[in-house]
Amino acid sequence: MKPASLLRWYPRAWRERYGEELLALIQDNLAEGRRAWRLQLSVIWGGLGERGRQARHAATAVFKRPDRSDKEGTILAAGLICGFGLGGFPSPSSATRAWQVVALDAVLAAVALTGALVLAGGLAALPALVRFLRAGGWPKIRRRVGWAAGATAAAAGGLVLVSDSDWPAQRNVSWTLLAGLLVTGLAMAGAIGLWSATATASARHLTLTPRVRAAQLVLGAVLPTAVRAMVATFALWWAAMHPSSITLLVLGLVNAAMVIVLAPGRIGRAVRLGRRLRSAASGAMIINPSAHRPHGRHRA
Amino acid sequence: MSPSGLRRPNDPPLLILVSLADGPKHGHALAKDIEGFAGVRLGPGALYGAITRLVERGLIEPLGGDDRRRPYRITPPGSAALAEALADMRRVTRAGLARLRLDPA
Repeated sequence: MKPASLLRWYPRAWRERYGEELLALIQDNLAEGRRAWRLQLSVIWGGLGERGRQARHAATAVFKRPDRSDKEGTILAAGLICGFGLGGFPSPSSATRAWQVVALDAVLAAVALTGALVLAGGLAALPALVRFLRAGGWPKIRRRVGWAAGATAAAAGGLVLVSDSDWPAQRNVSWTLLAGLLVTGLAMAGAIGLWSATATASARHLTLTPRVRAAQLVLGAVLPTAVRAMVATFALWWAAMHPSSITLLVLGLVNAAMVIVLAPGRIGRAVRLGRRLRSAASGAMIINPSAHRPHGRHRA
Repeated sequence: MSPSGLRRPNDPPLLILVSLADGPKHGHALAKDIEGFAGVRLGPGALYGAITRLVERGLIEPLGGDDRRRPYRITPPGSAALAEALADMRRVTRAGLARLRLDPA
């Protein structure tokens, strides 16, 4: 293995900062007759350590930034509930009470609203995304899109296999099938999470007009509210179907209360911020501020 | 690890700080110096992992010059941290030697 290729074990940002120095050190060691395999092991171990450290930093940064974690968590939760929920809601039986039907309709409405919000946010940013790709931005997001597409393919394959197994009708569920369900579920969650992360990372590169930026702000404020409403209605509906589910009843009520208390302030702030943004820009194009942070994070 | 299984003071960041205490050095010079005074041969990965962390903590800093063999020097906070660590080690060393009756201190 060539010394330069060893650097691939390190994150890109690290390579840009220390790569040349490390290469020089490796070459000095090789010139002294040090064993190449020991050097390789040392560098690979060091590279894995740096990647681990970077992952820990990234995770810490996400949890320390409530806005971003909230947004990504919201999108993830929305996708998960949409993905699992729409295919898995049992139809009310003929003996079901009318208010349970209403609860189910509320759940479906909340799911539809959340999906529409996610779609609207994506469509609003679509022209900027096209401009970004035409300007040669594809390499910047290619790897993330590749991972997300791979996870999607794995999830789709798992879904096909699981659906072929006629699971709901089986009384004695085999361990293989359970493992398949688990892997498929994880792949779906992974795919949704990766697409969310890809969308967030891509958005940092986009040049958005003030109007779109303001719309994104409002959508970003409405979306968590919609997800919380979705969780609340889902929990209340489930509790209605299964009266012994006290925990879900409490969860539903707590989420409903939080929607009522938090939503007006959050959406109002977003609307005011959007107005200020548009008036400050006064018709001129603005650059996505997160793409031009003086101390922006390096991508690996 | 020594043959007895007891740990030696071979923490790479500490060794780097000790090495830089008498002047700036680049990566290869650091590794040679450390091998000379501590008998510890730091691999490139371990050395640059420790350098990265020390730079991030502001305990050492790079100097200008040849990018491929950039020298580093210890900063005032680095000197203070090194002095504190060495004082701790000296306290333990003195206590151990005194209890073994190998040192009158």
